[in-house]
Amino acid sequence: MQNIPSTSTIFSSLLRADLTTQWRNRKSFMLILIVPVIILFSWKGVIDKLGGAFVLGTCITLGLIAIGLMGYSNSIARDRDKGIFQRLRVAPLPAWSVMSSRLLVQMLMILLLTSTVFIAGFYFDKISLSAGGYLLGYVAALVGGAVYLGIGQMIVGLIKNAETVHSTSRLVYFVFIMVGMFGELGILGTQIGHLVQWSPYGTVKHILASSFQAASWDLSATKALLITIGYAIIFSVLGIRWFKWSPSERG
Amino acid sequence: MNTPSEAVLEVLNLNVKYGNFLAVKNLSFTVQAGEIFELLGPNGAGKTSSLSAVEGLLVPESGVVRVAGYDIKTHPRHARANMGVQLQATSFQPELNVAEIIRLYAGIYGVPLTREKLGSILENINLREAGSKKFGQLSGGQQQRVSLVIALIHEPRLVLLDEPTTGLDPQARRQLWERIESLRNQGHGILLTTHSMEEAESVCDRVAIIDHGQVISTDTPQALIDGHRNDPEVIRASRKGKVTLEDVFIGLTGSQVRV
Repeated sequence: MQNIPSTSTIFSSLLRADLTTQWRNRKSFMLILIVPVIILFSWKGVIDKLGGAFVLGTCITLGLIAIGLMGYSNSIARDRDKGIFQRLRVAPLPAWSVMSSRLLVQMLMILLLTSTVFIAGFYFDKISLSAGGYLLGYVAALVGGAVYLGIGQMIVGLIKNAETVHSTSRLVYFVFIMVGMFGELGILGTQIGHLVQWSPYGTVKHILASSFQAASWDLSATKALLITIGYAIIFSVLGIRWFKWSPSERG
Repeated sequence: MNTPSEAVLEVLNLNVKYGNFLAVKNLSFTVQAGEIFELLGPNGAGKTSSLSAVEGLLVPESGVVRVAGYDIKTHPRHARANMGVQLQATSFQPELNVAEIIRLYAGIYGVPLTREKLGSILENINLREAGSKKFGQLSGGQQQRVSLVIALIHEPRLVLLDEPTTGLDPQARRQLWERIESLRNQGHGILLTTHSMEEAESVCDRVAIIDHGQVISTDTPQALIDGHRNDPEVIRASRKGKVTLEDVFIGLTGSQVRV
């Protein structure tokens, strides 16, 4: 008679495998880091005009979008397509442990991204924050990251084909970056600018920028935080609800 | 391990439905400890749906599946802890090497794995040197051996093998048959699906021929041949005057090609 292995044993095995997988995919993670670092480097001359918090917030937001849409959703779609999840599901493990391990790795990536942006911001642009600003920045990055992981989950929930997930997530990534950045700067008009402000892009960027300077936290930052949490919950719930473990799974 | 004639798998009145289509109808069979039982059927007969219900990958419309006495619906983790599965198209994370994959599944099944034990597992399947290779770099036969080792890592009472010899060369196929027979001799109950009549005749103790989601006939391969050798459909299907299991299969399920 076989006993059920403990959840901690199962989870640590899954986590070790997922961390190894992420480590072997470090080149793709480097690509995720490139865009924020390039922006930090190229915006060197306009830091005084835009403000350090704005620039750091923008760079981390772009990285979070890339992690959720390019990294997470594509890896889930690939593993589903290859039958990796089906193999895991016939083992005596709780289904939530498979996704939790994946999400934990993504959270580590978010912390790594945030650290990289902080370090590059200091190195290239001499942007420095208080200890509290850095700490709150990490928390805000995790909350904001949950929104984009939720969107990524929703994409793999809605679309079963891995190739289509890949192209859709790339498209959504570019839409977020272009509309988000240009809309926020007012290039696309006031109405779009207002929409962007309360979109996942705008609220995440807002809570990031506000968290860097705790003293400047105001009512609109609190509103942005609540909306961000709302986005994260809605996208995640829909993504989990629509998700199928196998591309051939029916109904 | 099990005492002989103890049921390690019981499937009772299983019904699997996709929308309005009933893919499996009132399917019942048991697999005993120390027995190789085969589900044989043409494409779309309901083999994979039945197997998926046994594995707990799909929820049946009705019916009972018990693995080592555990109901897959009410005690899915206990049932799965007592079964080892080799899926038709097994895939593992392509970034992990063979040793890491074995280590992952040993952890998932709660099997302590020392470096020495891992080495001896790899040695047993003649893959000592392949431990650091990625799964995708192995040949088809080597991949099957790794998949089987993982399916058996926790010494399960029931082993499910979904078309395990597909794509293997004759040498690798024979080697796998020997492995399967040795598992039976150790007391494991084995549920196998295959398209190979040769495999069914050579390896299986009992065969259930299923079509349109229903069991048409269940018996030993020889008893199936003896029991149906005078059926007009079987005689029509037979070639060179000798009735084989394939003739019985064609006679019972028809000669029309299924897609």
